[in-house]
Amino acid sequence: MQAIRSLGADLLGISPELPDNTLTMAEKHAIPIDILSDATSEVMKKYRLWFAVPAEVKALYLEKFGLNLEKYNDAGRWELPVPATYVLDRDGIVRAGEADPDYTVRMEPSDIVAAIREITGG
Amino acid sequence: MSLKKQLAEFDASRNRPPEVVAILRRGIDSTRESGAAGLRIGERAPDFTLPNQRGEMVSLHDRLSRGPVVLNFYRGVW
Repeated sequence: MQAIRSLGADLLGISPELPDNTLTMAEKHAIPIDILSDATSEVMKKYRLWFAVPAEVKALYLEKFGLNLEKYNDAGRWELPVPATYVLDRDGIVRAGEADPDYTVRMEPSDIVAAIREITGG
Repeated sequence: MSLKKQLAEFDASRNRPPEVVAILRRGIDSTRESGAAGLRIGERAPDFTLPNQRGEMVSLHDRLSRGPVVLNFYRGVW
């Protein structure tokens, strides 16, 4: 994250969760990046990342993992984004990125830094 | 070690029962088949304005006027 910042790039995190109401304002100010709340799923849909959690996965989350997404996302919102990372140049063009429904696969931080360097010539 | 390798090792270390792994695997496959493939390289990212953790509105367009932006879509804090 510091590497991203030091190259002059900004980092925005986006999740379907409602804004956190368990943190104090001081704690919120201490978070060094912007955590954005896509509470209507509009942005996930625009980015073609939105999906409804399949019924058997929902049952597994509730019964085996004790995880109720409604606690985080609001009533009835069993919907999530495909985990994704995009590196945008100043024109908003996607210069690098990865999106994979397998949430155990993520874009390598070194690839993110390399893509920013290519944009900034740094 | 790469992040991919670390995540794979972590996932394996959880030793989930085969029936749980099978459900999660089918969920991933059905999401893949739904066509939620995200943006393509070279495509313009749609603009948006969303509230941050302090309730301040953040617009992608504003942030891009300052420099490159890395967007990270994640499922949640759980």
